[in-house]
Amino acid sequence: MTIEQDWPRVSQQKAGARASWLRLDQTRVLVIALAIILGILVAPPAIILLLRSLSITNPDATVGGWTLTHYLRFFTNPDLYRTLVNSLTFALFSTVVALLFGGTLAWLVERTNTRFKALAYLTTVISMGTPYILYVSAWLFLLGRSGPFNDAWRTMTGTRQVLFNPYSLTGMILIEGFLWSPLVFLLLSSTFRSANADLEEAARMSGAGVLRTVWSVSIRMATPAIAALALFVFIRAIEAFEVPALVGMPGNVDVLTTDVYRSIKESIPPDLGYASAYSVVLLVAVAILLHFYGKLSRNAGRYSTVTGKGYRPRQFDLGKWRPVGDALVIFNFLIVLVLPLLALLWLSLLPYMRPMRPSGVAQFSLANFATVLSSEYYRTLAINTLIVGVVAASVGMILALFTGWLSARRKAGAQFVDQLATMPLVFPGIVMGVAFLMIFLSVPLPIYGTIWALAIAYTVRYLPYGLRYTYAGVLQISNELEEAAGASGATPLQSLRRVIAPLLSPALLSGWLFIFLIATKELAVAVLLSGPSSPVVAVGMYDLWVNGQGGELAAFGLIWAAVMTLVASVFYLAGGRAGGAGAH
Amino acid sequence: MNRREVTFGLGALAASGLFPWTRAHAAGPDLVAAAEAEGKVTWYTTMIVDQSVRPLAAAFMKRYPKIAVEFTRAGSGDTALKIINEGQAGRMMGDVFDGTATFSSVMPAGFVEPYKPDSAAAYPDKFKAADGSWHALNFYYLTAAYNTDLVSADEAPKTFNDLLDPKWKNQLVWSVVPEPVAAPGFLGNMLMAKGEEQGMAYLDKLAAQKVTNMNSSQRTVLDRVIVGDFPMGLMVFNHHVAISKAKGAPIEWLHMEPLVSSASLLGLIKGAPHPNAGKLFIDWLLSDEGQRVLASTNYLPSRPGVDAAIPTLLPTGPKPFETTFMSPTIVADNLKTWIGLLDKKFM
Repeated sequence: MTIEQDWPRVSQQKAGARASWLRLDQTRVLVIALAIILGILVAPPAIILLLRSLSITNPDATVGGWTLTHYLRFFTNPDLYRTLVNSLTFALFSTVVALLFGGTLAWLVERTNTRFKALAYLTTVISMGTPYILYVSAWLFLLGRSGPFNDAWRTMTGTRQVLFNPYSLTGMILIEGFLWSPLVFLLLSSTFRSANADLEEAARMSGAGVLRTVWSVSIRMATPAIAALALFVFIRAIEAFEVPALVGMPGNVDVLTTDVYRSIKESIPPDLGYASAYSVVLLVAVAILLHFYGKLSRNAGRYSTVTGKGYRPRQFDLGKWRPVGDALVIFNFLIVLVLPLLALLWLSLLPYMRPMRPSGVAQFSLANFATVLSSEYYRTLAINTLIVGVVAASVGMILALFTGWLSARRKAGAQFVDQLATMPLVFPGIVMGVAFLMIFLSVPLPIYGTIWALAIAYTVRYLPYGLRYTYAGVLQISNELEEAAGASGATPLQSLRRVIAPLLSPALLSGWLFIFLIATKELAVAVLLSGPSSPVVAVGMYDLWVNGQGGELAAFGLIWAAVMTLVASVFYLAGGRAGGAGAH
Repeated sequence: MNRREVTFGLGALAASGLFPWTRAHAAGPDLVAAAEAEGKVTWYTTMIVDQSVRPLAAAFMKRYPKIAVEFTRAGSGDTALKIINEGQAGRMMGDVFDGTATFSSVMPAGFVEPYKPDSAAAYPDKFKAADGSWHALNFYYLTAAYNTDLVSADEAPKTFNDLLDPKWKNQLVWSVVPEPVAAPGFLGNMLMAKGEEQGMAYLDKLAAQKVTNMNSSQRTVLDRVIVGDFPMGLMVFNHHVAISKAKGAPIEWLHMEPLVSSASLLGLIKGAPHPNAGKLFIDWLLSDEGQRVLASTNYLPSRPGVDAAIPTLLPTGPKPFETTFMSPTIVADNLKTWIGLLDKKFM
């Protein structure tokens, strides 16, 4: 059914009835159109994974017949247990590190009289613009056998042994934990900001000490939010690819995601059936976790006590503990921002990798920067990545706007559309990459190996995130405005365009920037989809790291991170105005 | 005399060094025109980008400004995978490949297009396949290298047996990518040099030294030694050591004999999207001009008459050394076995 077909009939109605007919019709058409578009984008990855996981893959890579062998092989793989334990340990402990570190910091900065708060925000904004690979390689260098810490240890003890080997499960946990702590900080700081200070004040006045107050009041109040966030970080860590690939694979610590990657990239022909079965199992696992996350996050606001009074909560006086708080803020600033940046700067200025010692200064040169700035390759990387980011963010937010509006206004059929748009959330990046790889290889369109393959995959992958922004944003806009517009003769689409969209623009901008920032730095999807004619920054950086061009990687990474930090600053400022329509 | 013969003749003359002014590459005008019409060539390479890929691509584009060189760098295994996967999916993206173990996978899968470039006439038979399915692009010699800040020349091991000294436990690193020029080739070298039984016994002892496995290129292994993460690395390219040494890095390679030698085999991909540009590029890479550019990057050229920039890197140079040559046949017959052995003993 299309608008055109119904037009003549509609025009024959009386004026009042026409409005209601049009409204019903436009909304219905919108729902159907969205369902079709989202269906085409979202359903094939799941379908192709399921089909391939149950199909026999012939040696010549054709598919024929049904089988359960891929699942049998998966469940009888003797290494599965170890991989699973690795994955769970990695995810659990990196969540603990990220929450302890980022959470403490958020509480200190939002609720106490700790000093140097600006440093915490600066760290967070810059970290949002920095590709994960860049961070991981910087920390690997810092924590490495010849990094400043081990170097100092060896100088002190005179041995050749190391204090700490980063290519281990412990190293992975620490690095992943640090990687997520800025996001935890960002999300928990809004929770702490809106908490009621009166209860803490009351506890202090009743004689409770600082620690007791924090434990029994501050943390208790934030528990639902923290629990939801913890599960969220846990899921992301299960899905993580960067740290397992850069830290785990060289250290022979395999997790689920690197196993999927290996079965595609390290076997001839790629074991797509096995990878698909693996992916389906991962999908189911993540879906179960997300189900619990949904339950938790619905309760996240249970103890939030935002009222008209005390809108700016009083700051908690740390008393004699204040220097400890200061130290933690500075520690975060050093470990998450200054040291990695210094390490990158050090690497970028040297002709080959050397330990951080004064003797290296004599060899400083700008050669790596000159190469990066004059090279066609790096220009292509940057341009491709920007195109992919802009397209994915724009298309994603347009779809999210319609879906979010339909869903928030509980229109007929909106629930189905909403579920379709949320479905990509269960896809770990690497699984999304596997699915789209198979799709683009089998459709008769010239998409495989182009940047459009990446743009499509990223649009689908981050659609649920965009939806969070628009859904929350529309909820904050009173329905009365639309009713008023409708009463004045506006069709639903007109009021969406002229009333809702303008009011929603801060949330739309935040969502757009969020997708843009994350799509331009994530490796997991791109590593399987980017080809020789479609190199993007994350994959380019991974190649540089694996192929041993750390100097150029650092130089290019610093320039790229500087540009992205500008974008992230806009995101942060826009986010402040969007009134915390924050999405995970 | 037709054009082919003229070019052949000039090529032979140039190769013999009689007419140094004829060194500029001269391919047939038909091929050049067809290649220029295609406008670009995609090169799936295993060479290190900043060291040799970029200079080679730049020199080719200077000679043929209408043809852009796109490249992707990966190890032999990954490169072969990419070609086979793309070929089987009917989505071939690459035109030209190289690598020490790429050919041995891509050929049986049926994705090699034989091609005999004019410039290859000067090559002896052992440096090229009779049907033109591969040509040797350059030579590699692999050995152990040590960080001179951490290990003195006296202290450095001299023989493979010296590696078994307890002081090297946990101190050695190598790349375990599936290539004859990485850990699998080390295993093959020991089995061939010491014989099956003694070789196995040696490998068991070496496994007890807990060599650190890296999944990345030999270049990154060398970098980890240079930066001091490990005092010594196994199976690194001796010309990489020379390149870093020239920049002042504290690194030296060892004449631990026999070294592993191997050739990077250059080939045209069947079903390539730019077959003519691919042919022209291969022709140029093997030409006197292309090989001189390669030699200028301190890589070791395969073309007779083109000298290595650093002769000591060659087994026939001023400081000769013994090698085990990983010929294409040996690689095709044994690589899988060595990889399996590596998995069993060292992973």
